[in-house]
Amino acid sequence: MEQLIEQLKSQIIDALNFEDMTPADIDTDAPLFGEGLGLDSIDALELIMLMDREYGIKLADPKAGKAIFQSVRTMAEYIQANRTK
Amino acid sequence: MRIAITGIGMVSAIGCNSTETLQALRNERSGIGAMRMLQSVHTDLPVGEVPYTDAELKTTLGVDEPMPRTSLLGLMAAREAMEMAGVNPFTFHLSPFTFISGTTVGGMDLTEQHWQDYQQSLATENIHLHEAGESTNAIMRYLSPLTSHLSPFIATPSTACSSALNAIMLGANLLRTGQAKAALVGGAESLSKFHLNGFNTLMILDHQPCRPFDANRNGLNLGEGAGYLLIEPEAEALARGAKILGYINGYANTCDAFHQTASSADGEGAYRAMKGALEMAQLEPEDIDYINAHGTATPNNDLSESAALIRLFGDHMPAVSSTKAFTGHTTSASGGLEAAICVLAMQHGFIPANLHWSQTAEGLIQPMTRTRCQALHHVLCNAFGFGGNESSLVISNEGKDLSEASLVELSSCREIEISEDTEVSAFVNGAEARRMTPQTRRIVAAAKKAMQEAHIDQPDAIVCATQYGCMLQSMRFLQDMIDSEEQQLKPTPFIQSTHNTIASLIAILTGNHGYNATYSQGKDSLACAMTDIRTQMSLGLIRNALVLEFDEEVEVWDKVLQHIGEKTQNIAKATIITL
Repeated sequence: MEQLIEQLKSQIIDALNFEDMTPADIDTDAPLFGEGLGLDSIDALELIMLMDREYGIKLADPKAGKAIFQSVRTMAEYIQANRTK
Repeated sequence: MRIAITGIGMVSAIGCNSTETLQALRNERSGIGAMRMLQSVHTDLPVGEVPYTDAELKTTLGVDEPMPRTSLLGLMAAREAMEMAGVNPFTFHLSPFTFISGTTVGGMDLTEQHWQDYQQSLATENIHLHEAGESTNAIMRYLSPLTSHLSPFIATPSTACSSALNAIMLGANLLRTGQAKAALVGGAESLSKFHLNGFNTLMILDHQPCRPFDANRNGLNLGEGAGYLLIEPEAEALARGAKILGYINGYANTCDAFHQTASSADGEGAYRAMKGALEMAQLEPEDIDYINAHGTATPNNDLSESAALIRLFGDHMPAVSSTKAFTGHTTSASGGLEAAICVLAMQHGFIPANLHWSQTAEGLIQPMTRTRCQALHHVLCNAFGFGGNESSLVISNEGKDLSEASLVELSSCREIEISEDTEVSAFVNGAEARRMTPQTRRIVAAAKKAMQEAHIDQPDAIVCATQYGCMLQSMRFLQDMIDSEEQQLKPTPFIQSTHNTIASLIAILTGNHGYNATYSQGKDSLACAMTDIRTQMSLGLIRNALVLEFDEEVEVWDKVLQHIGEKTQNIAKATIITL
């Protein structure tokens, strides 16, 4: 799980163009949207795409992302349980 | 001056002219169905296609050279509007001729079809047609072989889905300042794999026919088409005995200044645009008989537009419908097509139905679900685009005198161009910058510095001039789409690919609700932007403006352009213009 979390942080930084950030700068349990990283709806779409590309998870409904993307941890847990690659 | 509409022309999935369109609207026959023309892998997405191949359109139109589908659809609608008005550019005494046609896709359909050929130096005769402005020029060439003698004024506003309404606004302003004696105004847009895949990455395409304003709406269907109005001063129309179909009595464009793709929850931009249009027309909300809503059927648009409608119209909500369940969302053409539909509705006394609606939900307006016969005096037409570019138009059956003005002289503040990265980062911070290309950061920094130097933090207008638009992100998206065979595409490059990205981004960053526009007319783009600004200043619609020149050097596109001896270049200049 910890390994997945670290890998996911790198992938998020890459997918969302956080140029000056390292995985250590992201708090695993901090909210991704609103506070924390302050992501928006475009980022949510990028995260959905990231899960599809890297883990073979397809989300048909963008609204489903809300619960999954609460924090890096919730996202990692969802990936762990649903990944197809 | 009263601005008369003497011709309308329209092409969409429900008809190739006014007669066919009228029949489909009256019979509540939608044009949305399975994909047949567009060669995309996403055949599960319903679309509103014009049911003719490019080859069939060319035969009908007498075109025997490579031409983007956008231009073919545009030419068909443009000819109808001219014929209905009883004018053509040869005999037309109302010169110089003015043609303003909004588009964003431009020649992207040919570029995506021939991309592999371009890499292998084949099909090079199509390359110059990529530019948005060139697709407008192609229409003009076929409207009149005498184009070079007529030296018409041609402009291509490119503000995504509000482009065609912005074209109508510029045309009306040119008439009011005596710069045109007649104008053919509207927009054209064909389907392309590029924007179908783009909207698909945004997860806002419904796999069923779209349901505007319905509780269970689940996104839009893309459509294609064109729509134009021929407008001229009432006095000229009467003098030549033309039949007047309606009048342009009010219009406004504002920026929602909220987000690049999402509309604000309270519909601030839409509210301001509709209010501005009513004010120019000197109408009260209760005077409006019908609103042709933007109504795309995305969860976000319909809720935001409803909020704006409820705020402005309150207890006096007129009949509202979105005709996108008939035609699909024809994006840059939608304002022209739907304005033409409003004229048809007014002429024939009916309100088009909002198809596929069954259930309301909190915060949503309730549209007209069936076609209804009703005399219409004043109608409002909305078109909203990416980046919160919101336009609204009032069409009436009686003319309102709009003020006229002669042209004023402008002064320019110092032109700002920033090349040092350290100076760029002084104006653009990390969080803001993360989605911007290097060239986008330079133009945003230049814009902020220009405003700072001129001590104008909220210019009345932000107008961008660009030949190729945001080419780096466009090419990224195009290349990824071709390489991946339309799978697993990233949304950000698509969102950033529209021509109006720069002007809207600056408005969003600075909270600017003023006029917002982009012109993509090849090397004449800046001249078009300056004409718009000067015209609006002469009419007292704006007091100052931020003008931006933007283009970016893109290696992959330069490899294509070398076949026609052209090259992209980095341009990021900002200037404040005042009286």
